[in-house]
Amino acid sequence: MYKQVKDLITGSIANVIVRISDGASIPFDPANTDYQAFKQDIAEGKPLQDADGNEMTAEAAQEFMRNLP
Amino acid sequence: MSTIAVNTITDASGGTTATINGYTPTVSNMAGRNRIINGDMRIDQRNAGASVTAGTSNTYAVDRFINQASVDSKFTVQQNAGSVTPPAGFANYLGATSSAATSLGASDYYLIRHFIEGLNCSDLAWGTADAKTVTLSFLVRSSLTGTFGGAINNSAANRSYPFTYSISSANTWTQISVTIPGDTSGTWLTTNGVGIRVGFSLGTGSTLSGTAGSWSGSTYFSATGATSVVGTNGATFYITGVQLEKGSTATSFDYRPYGTELQLCQRYYQVGSSGAVGKFTSTTNLGYGIVFPIPMRSTPTVSHTANYSAVDLGVADVTITNTTINGSRISTTGAALNGTTTGATSGAIGIVFSNGTGFSSEL
Repeated sequence: MYKQVKDLITGSIANVIVRISDGASIPFDPANTDYQAFKQDIAEGKPLQDADGNEMTAEAAQEFMRNLP
Repeated sequence: MSTIAVNTITDASGGTTATINGYTPTVSNMAGRNRIINGDMRIDQRNAGASVTAGTSNTYAVDRFINQASVDSKFTVQQNAGSVTPPAGFANYLGATSSAATSLGASDYYLIRHFIEGLNCSDLAWGTADAKTVTLSFLVRSSLTGTFGGAINNSAANRSYPFTYSISSANTWTQISVTIPGDTSGTWLTTNGVGIRVGFSLGTGSTLSGTAGSWSGSTYFSATGATSVVGTNGATFYITGVQLEKGSTATSFDYRPYGTELQLCQRYYQVGSSGAVGKFTSTTNLGYGIVFPIPMRSTPTVSHTANYSAVDLGVADVTITNTTINGSRISTTGAALNGTTTGATSGAIGIVFSNGTGFSSEL
Protein backbone atom coordinates (compact mmCIF):
# COMPACT_ATOMS: atom_id res chain seq x y z
CA MET A 1 0.00 0.00 0.00
CA TYR A 2 1.16 3.50 -0.81
CA LYS A 3 0.37 7.00 0.38
CA GLN A 4 0.58 10.38 -1.28
CA VAL A 5 2.80 13.05 0.24
CA LYS A 6 1.92 16.70 0.65
CA ASP A 7 4.65 19.30 0.16
CA LEU A 8 4.55 21.21 3.45
CA ILE A 9 5.87 24.36 1.80
CA THR A 10 3.66 24.57 -1.28
CA GLY A 11 0.74 22.54 0.02
CA SER A 12 0.53 20.62 -3.25
CA ILE A 13 0.95 16.87 -3.72
CA ALA A 14 4.66 16.07 -3.98
CA ASN A 15 6.26 14.03 -6.74
CA VAL A 16 7.01 11.36 -4.16
CA ILE A 17 5.01 8.41 -2.84
CA VAL A 18 5.47 6.66 0.50
CA ARG A 19 5.52 2.86 0.60
CA ILE A 20 3.62 2.23 3.83
CA SER A 21 5.17 -1.17 4.57
CA ASP A 22 8.58 0.31 5.31
CA GLY A 23 8.06 4.08 5.13
CA ALA A 24 10.36 4.47 2.14
CA SER A 25 9.98 7.68 0.12
CA ILE A 26 9.91 6.91 -3.59
CA PRO A 27 10.47 9.72 -6.11
CA PHE A 28 8.66 9.81 -9.43
CA ASP A 29 11.62 8.86 -11.61
CA PRO A 30 10.75 6.35 -14.35
CA ALA A 31 14.24 4.84 -13.96
CA ASN A 32 13.68 4.13 -10.25
CA THR A 33 12.71 0.47 -9.88
CA ASP A 34 10.66 1.13 -6.73
CA TYR A 35 8.64 3.68 -8.71
CA GLN A 36 8.20 1.13 -11.49
CA ALA A 37 6.94 -1.37 -8.90
CA PHE A 38 4.56 1.24 -7.45
CA LYS A 39 2.99 1.87 -10.85
CA GLN A 40 2.68 -1.87 -11.43
CA ASP A 41 1.09 -2.41 -8.01
CA ILE A 42 -1.50 0.32 -8.52
CA ALA A 43 -2.25 -0.96 -12.02
CA GLU A 44 -2.94 -4.35 -10.42
CA GLY A 45 -5.45 -2.75 -8.07
CA LYS A 46 -3.49 -2.29 -4.86
CA PRO A 47 -4.83 0.55 -2.72
CA LEU A 48 -3.53 4.09 -2.65
CA GLN A 49 -4.07 6.54 0.19
CA ASP A 50 -4.27 10.29 -0.12
CA ALA A 51 -1.97 12.50 1.91
CA ASP A 52 -4.46 12.48 4.80
CA GLY A 53 -4.43 8.69 4.97
CA ASN A 54 -7.82 8.08 3.38
CA GLU A 55 -8.03 5.29 0.82
CA MET A 56 -8.66 6.76 -2.61
CA THR A 57 -11.40 5.46 -4.82
CA ALA A 58 -10.27 3.43 -7.81
CA GLU A 59 -11.31 6.27 -10.09
CA ALA A 60 -9.36 8.88 -8.14
CA ALA A 61 -6.30 6.64 -8.01
CA GLN A 62 -6.41 6.01 -11.74
CA GLU A 63 -6.80 9.73 -12.43
CA PHE A 64 -3.75 10.40 -10.26
CA MET A 65 -1.77 7.70 -12.04
CA ARG A 66 -2.64 9.05 -15.48
CA ASN A 67 -0.67 12.23 -14.82
CA LEU A 68 2.50 10.52 -13.63
CA PRO A 69 5.71 10.32 -15.69
CA MET B 1 68.38 -0.78 -16.38
CA SER B 2 67.28 -0.42 -19.98
CA THR B 3 64.30 1.14 -21.65
CA ILE B 4 62.31 -0.34 -24.51
CA ALA B 5 60.85 2.32 -26.75
CA VAL B 6 58.76 0.74 -29.47
CA ASN B 7 55.34 1.28 -30.95
CA THR B 8 54.16 -2.33 -31.10
CA ILE B 9 54.98 -5.61 -29.38
CA THR B 10 53.86 -8.72 -31.24
CA ASP B 11 54.54 -12.40 -30.92
CA ALA B 12 57.08 -14.15 -33.15
CA SER B 13 54.57 -14.56 -35.96
CA GLY B 14 53.42 -10.94 -35.82
CA GLY B 15 50.31 -11.85 -33.87
CA THR B 16 48.83 -10.68 -30.58
CA THR B 17 49.80 -13.46 -28.19
CA ALA B 18 53.03 -11.97 -26.85
CA THR B 19 53.26 -12.54 -23.11
CA ILE B 20 54.81 -10.59 -20.26
CA ASN B 21 55.69 -12.79 -17.31
CA GLY B 22 53.22 -15.32 -18.62
CA TYR B 23 50.41 -12.78 -19.01
CA THR B 24 49.00 -11.83 -22.39
CA PRO B 25 47.65 -8.29 -22.21
CA THR B 26 44.80 -7.55 -24.58
CA VAL B 27 42.23 -4.80 -24.81
CA SER B 28 39.76 -6.97 -22.91
CA ASN B 29 41.85 -8.19 -20.01
CA MET B 30 43.31 -5.02 -18.59
CA ALA B 31 42.00 -3.27 -15.46
CA GLY B 32 38.32 -2.48 -15.55
CA ARG B 33 37.45 -5.49 -17.66
CA ASN B 34 35.11 -7.02 -15.09
CA ARG B 35 31.54 -5.87 -15.68
CA ILE B 36 30.48 -7.24 -12.30
CA ILE B 37 30.62 -4.77 -9.41
CA ASN B 38 31.63 -6.15 -6.01
CA GLY B 39 32.39 -9.55 -7.53
CA ASP B 40 34.69 -10.31 -4.60
CA MET B 41 31.83 -9.60 -2.17
CA ARG B 42 33.81 -7.05 -0.15
CA ILE B 43 31.17 -4.33 0.12
CA ASP B 44 28.17 -4.81 2.40
CA GLN B 45 26.79 -1.34 3.08
CA ARG B 46 23.34 -2.47 4.13
CA ASN B 47 24.05 -5.26 6.60
CA ALA B 48 27.71 -5.11 7.65
CA GLY B 49 27.89 -8.88 7.49
CA ALA B 50 24.52 -9.68 9.06
CA SER B 51 22.29 -12.39 7.62
CA VAL B 52 19.39 -11.58 5.30
CA THR B 53 16.36 -13.76 4.60
CA ALA B 54 15.41 -13.99 0.94
CA GLY B 55 11.80 -13.35 0.05
CA THR B 56 9.39 -12.32 -2.64
CA SER B 57 10.61 -8.75 -2.24
CA ASN B 58 14.17 -8.26 -3.46
CA THR B 59 16.77 -8.28 -0.71
CA TYR B 60 20.49 -7.66 -0.72
CA ALA B 61 23.19 -9.23 1.41
CA VAL B 62 26.40 -7.82 -0.08
CA ASP B 63 26.08 -4.87 -2.43
CA ARG B 64 24.86 -5.39 -6.00
CA PHE B 65 23.87 -9.04 -5.53
CA ILE B 66 20.13 -9.51 -5.34
CA ASN B 67 18.32 -12.37 -3.65
CA GLN B 68 15.11 -13.30 -5.39
CA ALA B 69 12.62 -15.96 -4.41
CA SER B 70 9.12 -16.99 -5.40
CA VAL B 71 8.34 -18.03 -1.81
CA ASP B 72 9.47 -16.31 1.40
CA SER B 73 12.04 -17.61 3.87
CA LYS B 74 13.45 -20.60 2.01
CA PHE B 75 17.07 -19.49 2.21
CA THR B 76 19.27 -16.95 3.95
CA VAL B 77 22.19 -15.04 2.50
CA GLN B 78 25.13 -13.52 4.31
CA GLN B 79 28.59 -12.18 3.65
CA ASN B 80 30.98 -14.94 4.78
CA ALA B 81 28.17 -17.21 5.99
CA GLY B 82 29.52 -20.23 7.84
CA SER B 83 32.93 -18.59 8.25
CA VAL B 84 34.81 -20.98 6.00
CA THR B 85 38.20 -20.03 4.60
CA PRO B 86 37.71 -18.03 1.40
CA PRO B 87 39.59 -19.20 -1.69
CA ALA B 88 43.16 -17.98 -2.16
CA GLY B 89 43.26 -14.34 -3.12
CA PHE B 90 39.90 -13.48 -1.59
CA ALA B 91 38.85 -12.26 1.83
CA ASN B 92 35.09 -12.51 1.37
CA TYR B 93 32.39 -14.57 -0.24
CA LEU B 94 28.61 -14.56 -0.42
CA GLY B 95 27.02 -17.51 1.29
CA ALA B 96 23.50 -18.87 0.91
CA THR B 97 22.02 -21.45 3.27
CA SER B 98 18.86 -23.41 2.67
CA SER B 99 16.31 -22.92 5.46
CA ALA B 100 14.16 -25.96 4.64
CA ALA B 101 13.82 -28.93 2.31
CA THR B 102 11.77 -27.08 -0.29
CA SER B 103 10.06 -28.83 -3.17
CA LEU B 104 10.07 -26.87 -6.39
CA GLY B 105 6.82 -25.93 -8.08
CA ALA B 106 7.02 -25.54 -11.85
CA SER B 107 7.22 -21.74 -11.61
CA ASP B 108 9.30 -21.46 -8.45
CA TYR B 109 12.70 -19.78 -8.41
CA TYR B 110 15.38 -19.13 -5.83
CA LEU B 111 18.18 -17.00 -7.20
CA ILE B 112 21.23 -14.90 -6.51
CA ARG B 113 21.50 -12.37 -9.31
CA HIS B 114 23.57 -9.42 -10.43
CA PHE B 115 22.23 -6.78 -12.80
CA ILE B 116 24.72 -4.98 -15.05
CA GLU B 117 23.71 -1.47 -16.06
CA GLY B 118 23.26 -1.02 -19.80
CA LEU B 119 25.75 1.84 -19.84
CA ASN B 120 28.41 -0.60 -18.63
CA CYS B 121 27.91 -3.23 -21.32
CA SER B 122 26.85 -1.31 -24.42
CA ASP B 123 30.15 -2.16 -26.13
CA LEU B 124 29.15 -5.83 -26.16
CA ALA B 125 26.62 -4.95 -28.88
CA TRP B 126 24.19 -7.64 -27.81
CA GLY B 127 21.04 -7.68 -29.88
CA THR B 128 23.08 -6.93 -33.04
CA ALA B 129 24.98 -9.00 -35.58
CA ASP B 130 28.19 -7.73 -33.98
CA ALA B 131 27.41 -9.21 -30.55
CA LYS B 132 30.57 -10.00 -28.61
CA THR B 133 31.34 -13.24 -26.78
CA VAL B 134 31.73 -12.95 -23.01
CA THR B 135 33.11 -15.22 -20.34
CA LEU B 136 31.60 -15.60 -16.88
CA SER B 137 33.95 -16.93 -14.21
CA PHE B 138 33.56 -17.45 -10.48
CA LEU B 139 34.65 -19.54 -7.52
CA VAL B 140 31.94 -21.66 -5.94
CA ARG B 141 31.62 -24.07 -3.04
CA SER B 142 28.65 -26.13 -1.95
CA SER B 143 27.79 -28.82 0.55
CA LEU B 144 26.16 -30.57 -2.42
CA THR B 145 27.74 -31.98 -5.55
CA GLY B 146 26.36 -32.27 -9.04
CA THR B 147 25.41 -30.10 -11.94
CA PHE B 148 24.35 -26.60 -10.96
CA GLY B 149 22.66 -23.98 -13.11
CA GLY B 150 22.18 -20.34 -13.82
CA ALA B 151 21.18 -18.05 -16.65
CA ILE B 152 21.90 -14.82 -18.45
CA ASN B 153 18.84 -12.68 -19.24
CA ASN B 154 18.05 -9.35 -20.81
CA SER B 155 16.04 -6.66 -19.04
CA ALA B 156 12.67 -7.93 -20.22
CA ALA B 157 13.68 -11.54 -19.44
CA ASN B 158 12.57 -12.58 -22.93
CA ARG B 159 16.09 -13.59 -23.90
CA SER B 160 17.74 -16.31 -21.86
CA TYR B 161 20.95 -18.29 -21.92
CA PRO B 162 20.83 -21.10 -19.34
CA PHE B 163 24.19 -22.52 -18.36
CA THR B 164 25.47 -25.38 -16.23
CA TYR B 165 28.60 -26.06 -14.24
CA SER B 166 29.79 -28.96 -12.18
CA ILE B 167 30.83 -29.21 -8.55
CA SER B 168 32.41 -32.61 -8.03
CA SER B 169 33.76 -32.21 -4.49
CA ALA B 170 31.57 -31.06 -1.63
CA ASN B 171 32.76 -28.18 0.53
CA THR B 172 35.65 -27.42 -1.80
CA TRP B 173 36.18 -24.17 -3.68
CA THR B 174 35.93 -24.83 -7.42
CA GLN B 175 36.87 -22.44 -10.21
CA ILE B 176 34.20 -22.22 -12.90
CA SER B 177 34.35 -20.62 -16.33
CA VAL B 178 31.45 -20.35 -18.76
CA THR B 179 31.87 -18.82 -22.22
CA ILE B 180 28.72 -17.29 -23.66
CA PRO B 181 28.30 -16.28 -27.29
CA GLY B 182 26.87 -12.80 -27.65
CA ASP B 183 23.14 -12.72 -28.35
CA THR B 184 22.43 -11.38 -31.82
CA SER B 185 18.68 -11.16 -31.15
CA GLY B 186 16.36 -9.44 -28.72
CA THR B 187 16.47 -6.05 -27.06
CA TRP B 188 19.41 -5.37 -24.78
CA LEU B 189 19.31 -1.97 -23.11
CA THR B 190 22.34 0.28 -23.34
CA THR B 191 20.84 2.94 -21.07
CA ASN B 192 20.88 3.37 -17.28
CA GLY B 193 18.39 0.50 -17.15
CA VAL B 194 19.23 -3.20 -16.86
CA GLY B 195 21.68 -4.28 -19.55
CA ILE B 196 22.42 -7.88 -18.58
CA ARG B 197 21.05 -10.02 -15.75
CA VAL B 198 23.49 -12.65 -14.46
CA GLY B 199 21.85 -15.29 -12.29
CA PHE B 200 22.91 -18.25 -10.17
CA SER B 201 20.13 -20.67 -9.33
CA LEU B 202 19.60 -22.23 -5.92
CA GLY B 203 16.56 -24.02 -7.30
CA THR B 204 14.32 -23.31 -10.28
CA GLY B 205 11.14 -25.01 -11.39
CA SER B 206 10.70 -26.76 -14.72
CA THR B 207 8.77 -23.95 -16.43
CA LEU B 208 11.63 -21.53 -15.82
CA SER B 209 14.40 -23.98 -16.74
CA GLY B 210 15.69 -24.46 -20.26
CA THR B 211 18.32 -26.17 -22.35
CA ALA B 212 21.82 -25.16 -21.35
CA GLY B 213 24.19 -23.62 -23.84
CA SER B 214 21.86 -21.89 -26.26
CA TRP B 215 19.90 -18.66 -26.50
CA SER B 216 16.14 -18.76 -26.19
CA GLY B 217 13.25 -16.33 -26.45
CA SER B 218 11.69 -17.80 -23.30
CA THR B 219 12.17 -16.78 -19.67
CA TYR B 220 14.64 -19.19 -18.11
CA PHE B 221 16.47 -18.71 -14.83
CA SER B 222 18.38 -21.97 -14.89
CA ALA B 223 19.16 -25.08 -16.87
CA THR B 224 16.91 -28.11 -16.93
CA GLY B 225 17.88 -30.72 -14.36
CA ALA B 226 20.18 -28.50 -12.30
CA THR B 227 20.74 -29.21 -8.61
CA SER B 228 18.32 -27.58 -6.16
CA VAL B 229 20.16 -26.17 -3.16
CA VAL B 230 16.91 -25.21 -1.45
CA GLY B 231 15.79 -28.83 -1.78
CA THR B 232 18.08 -29.83 1.08
CA ASN B 233 17.63 -28.26 4.50
CA GLY B 234 20.90 -26.70 5.63
CA ALA B 235 22.60 -27.04 2.24
CA THR B 236 25.11 -24.31 1.50
CA PHE B 237 26.14 -22.42 -1.63
CA TYR B 238 29.06 -20.02 -1.44
CA ILE B 239 30.36 -17.86 -4.27
CA THR B 240 33.00 -15.18 -4.88
CA GLY B 241 35.33 -13.88 -7.57
CA VAL B 242 32.46 -13.32 -9.97
CA GLN B 243 33.68 -11.83 -13.22
CA LEU B 244 32.04 -11.23 -16.59
CA GLU B 245 34.39 -10.02 -19.29
CA LYS B 246 34.55 -9.62 -23.02
CA GLY B 247 36.22 -12.48 -24.87
CA SER B 248 36.28 -16.25 -24.77
CA THR B 249 38.92 -16.64 -22.06
CA ALA B 250 38.58 -16.18 -18.32
CA THR B 251 41.40 -14.02 -17.05
CA SER B 252 42.49 -13.61 -13.45
CA PHE B 253 40.13 -11.67 -11.21
CA ASP B 254 40.16 -7.94 -11.82
CA TYR B 255 41.03 -6.61 -8.35
CA ARG B 256 40.08 -2.99 -7.91
CA PRO B 257 40.99 -0.73 -4.97
CA TYR B 258 38.46 -0.85 -2.13
CA GLY B 259 37.65 2.84 -2.53
CA THR B 260 37.01 2.39 -6.22
CA GLU B 261 34.74 -0.60 -5.63
CA LEU B 262 32.80 1.26 -2.94
CA GLN B 263 32.24 4.18 -5.28
CA LEU B 264 31.01 1.82 -7.99
CA CYS B 265 28.51 0.39 -5.48
CA GLN B 266 27.41 3.85 -4.34
CA ARG B 267 25.98 4.59 -7.76
CA TYR B 268 23.27 2.08 -6.78
CA TYR B 269 23.09 2.31 -3.00
CA GLN B 270 24.64 4.55 -0.42
CA VAL B 271 24.28 5.30 3.24
CA GLY B 272 23.61 8.90 4.20
CA SER B 273 26.80 10.69 5.15
CA SER B 274 27.55 12.52 8.37
CA GLY B 275 28.09 16.25 8.52
CA ALA B 276 24.90 17.36 6.80
CA VAL B 277 23.75 20.74 8.11
CA GLY B 278 20.21 21.97 8.56
CA LYS B 279 17.82 23.85 10.79
CA PHE B 280 15.21 22.72 13.28
CA THR B 281 12.05 24.11 11.72
CA SER B 282 10.15 23.10 14.86
CA THR B 283 10.79 21.16 18.03
CA THR B 284 10.09 17.95 16.10
CA ASN B 285 11.67 18.45 12.66
CA LEU B 286 15.18 18.94 11.34
CA GLY B 287 15.27 20.08 7.73
CA TYR B 288 18.68 19.34 6.23
CA GLY B 289 20.43 18.85 2.94
CA ILE B 290 22.70 16.09 1.75
CA VAL B 291 25.00 15.84 -1.25
CA PHE B 292 25.64 12.37 -2.59
CA PRO B 293 29.37 11.58 -2.79
CA ILE B 294 28.67 9.72 -6.03
CA PRO B 295 25.83 10.71 -8.40
CA MET B 296 23.28 7.95 -8.36
CA ARG B 297 21.94 5.94 -11.29
CA SER B 298 18.44 7.33 -10.90
CA THR B 299 16.68 9.53 -8.37
CA PRO B 300 16.91 7.26 -5.33
CA THR B 301 14.34 5.87 -2.94
CA VAL B 302 14.95 7.15 0.60
CA SER B 303 14.63 4.75 3.53
CA HIS B 304 15.07 5.37 7.24
CA THR B 305 17.09 2.28 8.15
CA ALA B 306 18.08 3.17 11.73
CA ASN B 307 17.69 5.99 14.21
CA TYR B 308 20.58 8.42 14.13
CA SER B 309 21.87 11.51 15.87
CA ALA B 310 22.07 15.21 15.23
CA VAL B 311 23.43 17.95 17.41
CA ASP B 312 20.94 20.68 18.26
CA LEU B 313 23.29 23.64 18.61
CA GLY B 314 20.67 25.34 20.77
CA VAL B 315 20.71 22.63 23.44
CA ALA B 316 22.12 19.12 23.01
CA ASP B 317 22.09 16.00 20.93
CA VAL B 318 18.78 14.67 19.61
CA THR B 319 17.75 11.41 17.97
CA ILE B 320 16.25 11.34 14.48
CA THR B 321 13.57 8.65 14.40
CA ASN B 322 12.33 8.99 10.82
CA THR B 323 13.55 10.48 7.56
CA THR B 324 11.54 11.60 4.55
CA ILE B 325 12.12 13.62 1.43
CA ASN B 326 11.26 17.30 1.83
CA GLY B 327 8.45 17.53 -0.70
CA SER B 328 9.85 16.55 -4.10
CA ARG B 329 13.32 17.97 -3.45
CA ILE B 330 15.62 15.16 -4.49
CA SER B 331 17.75 14.36 -7.53
CA THR B 332 20.56 12.00 -8.50
CA THR B 333 23.10 14.31 -6.82
CA GLY B 334 21.49 15.30 -3.52
CA ALA B 335 18.37 15.77 -1.45
CA ALA B 336 16.55 17.99 0.99
CA LEU B 337 15.36 15.81 3.85
CA ASN B 338 13.19 16.05 6.92
CA GLY B 339 14.27 14.27 10.08
CA THR B 340 11.69 13.62 12.80
CA THR B 341 12.77 14.19 16.39
CA THR B 342 11.43 15.46 19.71
CA GLY B 343 12.41 18.22 22.09
CA ALA B 344 14.66 20.17 19.75
CA THR B 345 15.11 23.92 19.79
CA SER B 346 13.01 25.42 17.03
CA GLY B 347 15.15 27.70 14.91
CA ALA B 348 18.47 26.20 16.02
CA ILE B 349 21.08 24.94 13.59
CA GLY B 350 21.35 21.15 13.46
CA ILE B 351 24.21 18.98 12.25
CA VAL B 352 23.72 15.30 11.50
CA PHE B 353 26.67 13.40 12.90
CA SER B 354 25.63 9.86 12.21
CA ASN B 355 23.21 8.74 9.61
CA GLY B 356 20.68 5.96 9.36
CA THR B 357 19.36 6.78 5.93
CA GLY B 358 19.69 4.58 2.88
CA PHE B 359 19.45 5.81 -0.71
CA SER B 360 18.69 3.18 -3.31
CA SER B 361 18.73 3.42 -7.08
CA GLU B 362 19.29 -0.28 -7.66
CA LEU B 363 18.46 -1.81 -10.99
